[in-house]
Amino acid sequence: MDLSFILQLLLGGLVIGVIYALVAMGLSLIFGVLEIVNFAHGEFYMLGAMAAFFLSSGTSLGYWPTILLVTLGAACVGYVLYEALLGSLQGEGFERSILLTLGLSMVLQNGAVYLFTTTPRMISNSLTYSTVTIGGLRISEPRLYALGLGLAAFAALFVVLHRTRMGKAMRGVAQNREAALMVGIDPRAVARLAVVIGIGLSGLAGAALAPVYAVHPVMGFAFVFKAFAIIIIGGLGNVSGAAFTAIALGLIESLIGGFLPLVMVDALAFVGMIVILLFKPHGLFGRGVRV
Amino acid sequence: MTRTAQEASLNADGADGGTGYRGWFSPLAGLLLATALLLVPFLSPSEYLLALGVSFAMFSVLSSGLNLVYGYAGLLSFAQVGFFGIGAYTAALLVVERGWSLWTGAVAGGVLAAAAGFAIGYASLRLSRHAFAIVSLCFALLCMIVARDWVSLTRGAMGIPGLPTPELSLPGGLRWRVVRPADFYYLIVGFAIAAQLLIYLVMSSRLGRAMRAIKLNEPLAQSQGINPLAYKLLAIVLSAVLAGMVGGLFVFYLSIVDPSVFDFYYTETMLIMVIIGGPGSFWGVLGSTAVLAALPDLLRFTTDLRMVLYGLVLIAVMLLFPGGIGGWLQRRRLARWRRPKPGRAAAGTLDAGGPR
Repeated sequence: MDLSFILQLLLGGLVIGVIYALVAMGLSLIFGVLEIVNFAHGEFYMLGAMAAFFLSSGTSLGYWPTILLVTLGAACVGYVLYEALLGSLQGEGFERSILLTLGLSMVLQNGAVYLFTTTPRMISNSLTYSTVTIGGLRISEPRLYALGLGLAAFAALFVVLHRTRMGKAMRGVAQNREAALMVGIDPRAVARLAVVIGIGLSGLAGAALAPVYAVHPVMGFAFVFKAFAIIIIGGLGNVSGAAFTAIALGLIESLIGGFLPLVMVDALAFVGMIVILLFKPHGLFGRGVRV
Repeated sequence: MTRTAQEASLNADGADGGTGYRGWFSPLAGLLLATALLLVPFLSPSEYLLALGVSFAMFSVLSSGLNLVYGYAGLLSFAQVGFFGIGAYTAALLVVERGWSLWTGAVAGGVLAAAAGFAIGYASLRLSRHAFAIVSLCFALLCMIVARDWVSLTRGAMGIPGLPTPELSLPGGLRWRVVRPADFYYLIVGFAIAAQLLIYLVMSSRLGRAMRAIKLNEPLAQSQGINPLAYKLLAIVLSAVLAGMVGGLFVFYLSIVDPSVFDFYYTETMLIMVIIGGPGSFWGVLGSTAVLAALPDLLRFTTDLRMVLYGLVLIAVMLLFPGGIGGWLQRRRLARWRRPKPGRAAAGTLDAGGPR
């Protein structure tokens, strides 16, 4: 088998894996700190991609300002989401959080379908078709940037969780809510920040992927379920477990897609999740917010 | 509703499972409703009305099954649509490829759905009920992917069109060719009535009370000798059998089965029916199912707009009335019970300032 073909597949898988990781890390962070499963998480990824599409096709904004603007916008949406809906749920029922965010997801997704129809849209500008060649491997520029952005976001999250007081407080709340409260950590501030970071990462993933793949209103729906499987395989609330699982899944899916007929690649994450739950119920990397 | 209010209601109307106000209400209402439903084809030949009736009957089996699993056993499940689709595919394939009759095909569909329900329930409930929610969701998605991609078995995205008109043998050597809309109406409404009766009997028996006890306080129920896993699995398996069988019957009414029987739309719709009606309230869920099965169709909403509306309703109910209509009615009833009796007015005024 041609080596460069395999490397090409691995590179493609890595890009997908990093995008999975951005969405799954945010989901895992929100679960770890708030114990809320955010069903609407994929819709923010979709909204990020839609916003990036409209910004880059409707305005003369460049690639980087678009990414920055969408990420900041998503973070603001996360703030509003926490204050308006999720804040009132604090410590009050897993089922209620699922149903509430499911309702939000239905509104956002079907509202987007109603407004924009399900037609896929593609960003086309000078960047879309330019490629970079590294040591015989060709990679399109938007893919390279998406990869870089994902790795940078991962590094930034690591620094925030380990080197800042706020990040340490976040891990504290995830490990033991009562103890964190007793040493004077404000759980609302911590939870708000977790939601802001989580939704911001989701928007970033959407904006980074918009120039690579077609953008359409149901893209988040299929994606978020795969992200659920990823965070369970990686261990609920375990942010780095989610990141590793996401990248591994991207690579495996890409390899399978390259060598075998494209059947049931989508099923891989779900089957993997059920198998993991049977044999290692706490996931591959164990529970708890760790990076 | 607070936990103490729920526990009080469990004690107060535990005898009829919290499903009716007085002993005579539920049997009488059920009898009247069943008679009215069975008389519809005689009174009105409108095929549109019959189609609405079939849709109500089909959804009522799904939503009452979900009510048993979520409202009684306390497990949020997304797997109902998977059971429904498994039953639909099993019945269709057995009838078309193996020449089985619809009865045996639908029963086989129910059995297979029950086996799937047992497997995912047993695997995930060892961990937690949270894991069950997520596993049930992934199970439903997996079912759709299998139906779409395992082309040699399920014929892929095209599905199996043109299912034959079923011919059923009835007791006494009679043959019943299910051709007219009224025939399908009787078939599916009849099945739904039987299924509702079964669900009602389970809910109002010891089994239902044990499930409610597990939902309210699992360690306490366990200390009374109730095995939570067995009751949870019973609820899942029972709802799976009924969903699988109604799926098997319903696709012959549609005369086609394709991967859209696993559509997330069904899950969202039956969840809304249970949430608005009130988890744990038999008549509440049946009422909201009737309204939601007919209303959007009568108002001629497009699907997108309907789902936006459902989503808004879901958010509003979760924020304002977490107990749904059934929970609201029950709270009112408890408040009436707590009001001082006329003869004990003096004691009542003293109590009025006490904690509620």
